[in-house]
Amino acid sequence: MNNAARTQAFYRHVASGGKVEAGEWMPDDYRQAVCRFVEMHANSELMGVLPEREWILRAPTLKRKLALTAKVQDEVGHAQLLYRVAEDLGKPREAMLADLLAGRTKFHNVFHYPTRTWADVGIIAWLVDAAAIVAQQALRESSYAPYARTMKKICWEESVHILHGRDVVLTLVNGTSRQRAMVQEALDRWWGPLMQMHGPPTDPAKDRDLAWRIKNKDNDTLRQEFLSTYVPRIREIGLELPDPELRQDPDSGRWHYTEPDWKELYSVVTGHGPKSKERLEFRQLNYEQTRWVRETILAEPKAAA
Amino acid sequence: MSTSLPATGPEAAAQLDEPTREALAELLLAMADDEFVIGFWDSEWTGIAPLLEEDVAFSSLAQDEIGHAQVLYQLLAELRDADPDRIAFGRGAQEYRHARLLDHPRTDWAFSIARRFLYDTADAVRLDLLAASSYAPLAGVVAKMRREETYHLLHATAWVERLAGGGEEPRRRLQDALERLWPDALCVLAPLEGDRRLVEAGVLAEPLADGEQRWLTGLAPLLERLGLPFPFRRAGARLEPAVERPASPRGDHSASFEWLWGEFTSVYRSDPEAAW
Amino acid sequence: MEVYEVFRQEREGAPMQHSGNLLAPDPELASHYAREFYGRRQESVRLWIVPRAAIRDLSDPDLLQPPLDRSFKKPVGYSADIKRKLAAARDRLGVGSAGEPEAEDPVVAAGRKGAEQA
Repeated sequence: MNNAARTQAFYRHVASGGKVEAGEWMPDDYRQAVCRFVEMHANSELMGVLPEREWILRAPTLKRKLALTAKVQDEVGHAQLLYRVAEDLGKPREAMLADLLAGRTKFHNVFHYPTRTWADVGIIAWLVDAAAIVAQQALRESSYAPYARTMKKICWEESVHILHGRDVVLTLVNGTSRQRAMVQEALDRWWGPLMQMHGPPTDPAKDRDLAWRIKNKDNDTLRQEFLSTYVPRIREIGLELPDPELRQDPDSGRWHYTEPDWKELYSVVTGHGPKSKERLEFRQLNYEQTRWVRETILAEPKAAA
Repeated sequence: MSTSLPATGPEAAAQLDEPTREALAELLLAMADDEFVIGFWDSEWTGIAPLLEEDVAFSSLAQDEIGHAQVLYQLLAELRDADPDRIAFGRGAQEYRHARLLDHPRTDWAFSIARRFLYDTADAVRLDLLAASSYAPLAGVVAKMRREETYHLLHATAWVERLAGGGEEPRRRLQDALERLWPDALCVLAPLEGDRRLVEAGVLAEPLADGEQRWLTGLAPLLERLGLPFPFRRAGARLEPAVERPASPRGDHSASFEWLWGEFTSVYRSDPEAAW
Repeated sequence: MEVYEVFRQEREGAPMQHSGNLLAPDPELASHYAREFYGRRQESVRLWIVPRAAIRDLSDPDLLQPPLDRSFKKPVGYSADIKRKLAAARDRLGVGSAGEPEAEDPVVAAGRKGAEQA
């Protein structure tokens, strides 16, 4: 079979729900598309650690400290799992970290914003993680099987984070008036980035990630799912959403809202968010400071089998 | 294990006379604060450890320590009829009773590993002294903690070997760390005021000073084999330190710890009466 | 650094299931890390940690999905024939069938179910 025919057969295979494993033949375009997709996801887990880890130190009870440390640990674990998937596609981890730190590859918008209060911790763990899982559940059927399997493990672990986040938020809304105000203020600040998180609507005909079933749902569908599940849950505990246009059409079930600021999204993910530079520099510094440890490990002779 | 005391905390506490209860509270606070503070410093590596896989592993160690602190604060709370979170978060910085070994910030990887190594090996001896404690609630908790600590010891020892044999730079960093840490390491098993009383009551199997000798004797072969700092000389059957033990082993805490205290109490102090 | 594949067992007697892989410089650290990634939530009772290089992959469809009929090795190769022949036996004896499908032989059903769960 010549290359063109092989490529055609491959795309028919993935378009009809077929799976691909690491080490199997795949067209370069597909390999690069998967790698780029997974890499951005891995980068996001790695960078997502930074806004939260500050609060590990400040967690106000033993239980919260344990829960938050475990959550951040999970995110690091997810980064590892995802970088492993990308590594098996042929890109070394050091190259991915170098590209991230140099701003050549991206990570999700939400991780470019500051965390200001303990309430941010609850809002992030509940709603940001929920928005992420809505997207990740749709990836459990990805054509690239190692990625799909990793998504299953990640979704399972993330479900605990959502519970933890909701518990934190509920404790605050049931608490003092200052605590309630704190969580409302945090929600007001995070709503914009949350609405931007799934990305602008794209033309399915031009979306290769959809065509090749790397992902299985488009951005708009994901946002609608998120709103359907979480807007009622946010409102039922007395929190308000800062978008006066936000409402659900009673007949179609479709949510209407103020169009998210796509310019802000683009600016943020290309490295101009409030915390983008600072966090990348922190990662860079830390990576440099620990270089000697990696070199020590790599210099070891392998243990005899 | 002695079965002369019932297993539940408040009943067991009521069986002790006041001076023994005081001595036990002092020990529990020291142990709980030790685990709490080392858990904080080590949790700082979460997200920024040298290797992603090691990041996850190290974070588990930190969580174990906080978990141990939690059960120890719980025991102390039963003894004093207090709230564990209030004990953990509600004191001023200089009221914490952790060993000065834990006043140092995490510094670099070699420093954190060296400190864990010294702390975990000393703590293992302390747990041995409590394994058959007549105070049943503590014996029960210690049995579980020892099982988790096995993994900690494996991890710390493996990393000490890896750094010591890993070339000039890791070796130098490890040596520097150990030299800086040894005087404060002598704070972990330094005698407590109520030591003797606890031995008489069967809570502790031996005085802490004897435990410290056993700890040092246990470490000597490994450190000598690896050519790492071990500032002790033999005086008969005992090992005498060639460095000075700090005058206040569990007090007079550092500026670094004051900073840490500021961080870990910041949300709590914003409203100590609130539920979080 | 080498890639190690990790298999875990969820409870006693369950099969070893492939769960993922990790990078480690030696088998000892590989075991530590496997414990972290696949055991820190008390979700496993056993782990196998295997260097990827030790694993032989076989996915040749000619070997695993050979095209010629092999229904004589599977239940589906018999069920239709048995149904037809049972109907013929009953006819010969003048015993009508009630027209309902026969309940599956419980021993056969149990045997197949056990294999599916494995």
